[in-house]
Amino acid sequence: MRTLLSIAGLSALALFLSSCDVGGISPIFPTPVSPNGKNIYDTYVGISIFAIIVFVGVEAALLWVVIRYRRSAQPAGYVPPQVHGHTGLEIAWTIAPLLLVLGIAGYSFAELQRDFQPITGEQMLVVVSGHQFGWDYEYQNGVVVHQEGSLSTEVPAFVVPTHTLVKLQFRANDVIHSWWVPAITGKTDAVPGYDNFSWLKIDRAGKWKGECAELCGTGHASMQIVVQAMDQADFDAWMAKQKAAAKPSASPSASPSP
Amino acid sequence: MAATTVLPRPKAYDDTFFKPISLWLTTTDHKLIGIMYMVTAMLSFVIGGIFALVIRLQLAQPNLRIVDDSTYNQIISAHGVTMIFFFVTIFVTGIANYMVPIMIGARDMAFPRVNLLGFWLVPVSIILYYCGFFTGHALDAGWTGYAPLTEAAYQSKSLGVDFWALSIIVWAISGIMASTNFLTTIVALRAPGMRFSRLPLFVWAQISTSILLLVVGAPLAAAMILLEFDRQLGTHFFTTDGRPVLYQHLFWFFGHPEVYVMILPAFGMISEIVPVFARKPIFGYMSMVAALFGIVFLSMTVWAHHMFTVGMNTYVEGFFMLMTMLIAVPTGIKFFNWIATAWWGSIDFTVPIKFVFGFLATFLIGGITGIYLASVPVDTQLHQSYYVVAHLHYVLFGGSVFAIFAGIYYWFPKITGRLLNRTLGEWHFWLTFIGFNGTFLIMHTLGLEGMPRRIWTYSNEAWALTNMIITLSSFLIAFAVLVFLINIIHSWNNGEIAGNDPWQGNTLEWATTSPPPPYNFERVPPVRSFMPVRDLRESGELVEEPPVAPVPV
Repeated sequence: MRTLLSIAGLSALALFLSSCDVGGISPIFPTPVSPNGKNIYDTYVGISIFAIIVFVGVEAALLWVVIRYRRSAQPAGYVPPQVHGHTGLEIAWTIAPLLLVLGIAGYSFAELQRDFQPITGEQMLVVVSGHQFGWDYEYQNGVVVHQEGSLSTEVPAFVVPTHTLVKLQFRANDVIHSWWVPAITGKTDAVPGYDNFSWLKIDRAGKWKGECAELCGTGHASMQIVVQAMDQADFDAWMAKQKAAAKPSASPSASPSP
Repeated sequence: MAATTVLPRPKAYDDTFFKPISLWLTTTDHKLIGIMYMVTAMLSFVIGGIFALVIRLQLAQPNLRIVDDSTYNQIISAHGVTMIFFFVTIFVTGIANYMVPIMIGARDMAFPRVNLLGFWLVPVSIILYYCGFFTGHALDAGWTGYAPLTEAAYQSKSLGVDFWALSIIVWAISGIMASTNFLTTIVALRAPGMRFSRLPLFVWAQISTSILLLVVGAPLAAAMILLEFDRQLGTHFFTTDGRPVLYQHLFWFFGHPEVYVMILPAFGMISEIVPVFARKPIFGYMSMVAALFGIVFLSMTVWAHHMFTVGMNTYVEGFFMLMTMLIAVPTGIKFFNWIATAWWGSIDFTVPIKFVFGFLATFLIGGITGIYLASVPVDTQLHQSYYVVAHLHYVLFGGSVFAIFAGIYYWFPKITGRLLNRTLGEWHFWLTFIGFNGTFLIMHTLGLEGMPRRIWTYSNEAWALTNMIITLSSFLIAFAVLVFLINIIHSWNNGEIAGNDPWQGNTLEWATTSPPPPYNFERVPPVRSFMPVRDLRESGELVEEPPVAPVPV
């Protein structure tokens, strides 16, 4: 019964939060399309339940103090009780937040273990390299998608098949960049010197946008990211076209400039 | 100490701001140094605010070109550096420099000449930083100056980063000097009867702040020195061939405690102001002190929560997440104790207490969003987005700056002998409160929708309306600051005469004249609790003198 109630509460809250989207002002991320993004979304909603309770409770207490205990609301000659403290109360408001944050930390840690470990058993590996200013996506078959930074025109999409577990391996050629598409999942930094990992498994066809999230120089704002998910058949056709296009000039553009 | 002979006040102390310049340049009086700290900080606040307005104009609509991308990056860096290093930290040091010796019944700081040097290093630091702009290219990598973007390979033509690093080294030395001085003063120069268990909470806050800055100032200077080695001597500590993430560890080992260097004095001010206006003693004095030291300890174990996306081991991330969330416990204790202090009180809603409640209402939001950011999975979405910008302004502006304003309205009468104008103060508060929330509450949503911070411009039309509202609200804050500055300038010369104790305060500064004489007290009052002046008032020992206008000599 209790779980049922909490599930109902959760989904009601999620509905409430997502329905608040008025004129591009939304209190929650875009609806996620990858399981790790969904789990982050749920963690956000879970924390929100307690956050809203604490927020409303404390602000109400503050409002009550402002209204009830202002001098003009007190009888003339009122002398406040000279209370220096209350051990029981002080212990209570030490323990209660402690339990609350331990709960939130445990809940978050479970999600951390679930979705943020380096994965094995991926169906596809893509090496994502950031540079000033753009992204390169290198598939295992040697095809590379270049997203050169641009403010005005949309960059070519990084295409993945739907329902496929794609492992992303991040590299940086110069400074630190950060790859972030909020509708898919959280961001991962591309740091020079070592490789970082993330993954995605998109459940429907579509196109999502993101940007570089780590200040990387003057062109930082231009480092657009476009991810497109296609059904396997469409993806195969797209890949064949890329291979054909890459053939004539395969040797010079095989590797990005150092 | 029987007969109190009234010492003649030196000619230089004519109680107006217009003292001989030679006195300002050479004084070792902690009060004058405190005023210089605060005035310097306020100038920085205005400069940093102008940078903020340029940022907001540039972002008001998609695809604007008010400034170019390179200038924009220099301006966001300058805004952060100015507000954090040269405004908030400097202001809270100044107000403590003024108040701490008086609150503990001392004549001056323990090392007056170190105090003098420590202060004058601040303008040196500020000027060094701004020299970067005259080389044509100031720091442009954000106030955090992450390597390798600040390395020579990516900054070939600019000396701005060198000036910044040098400036921060000088700043750290100044901070270490001030912290040593505060700790020595508080340990060694307390008045008879002023036991540790009777220290005002503002003084306790200054002890914890000083410990923090002593511990973390050196690693900051170390990070800057290593960065300069890389840039000038060709080493590879943080370069692309080195360990860029090491820079982040060093920087944030300073950077996160720095947040508490800015907020703990604010907590101290709130803890002084609430009891005075509620006419009740502080609730849970001992737990307030314990909470301060809990925060000091925890704040040094949380730095890597700024780095959850660099790819650390998940157990390491789990540790930093847990420690970060645990800070909510001591902060919660303080919060509930403040509310309990005000509960059943008889609160006189003058301007200082209005800012205190503004602080409580907004800082709470900053604290709650901090829990989201501490959660590693959620942080991978929120990190480096406008959500973080909103969060940090809720704790730094909604927290520290609101408390600073409360402190200014509270202590201005002590420092100048005159009250700030109440009507202008009310306008200042409401404009700031509305403008602040209008600017930053809605900003959270931009981050959730995917707008990264520190981008020069954007093409997403869906963010246009939000950004426009934010820009308009930010000008409301600017207008509020204008009202505040007018109030300060007007009241310093023409304000209502305050008298020694306009608020019926609890702590020793209210037992001396406004402004206090150079030696602070003719006779240090007896200290029997942490509210010595209130004790004297209740036992009838405090002779209330009628307010006397400060007389120009």
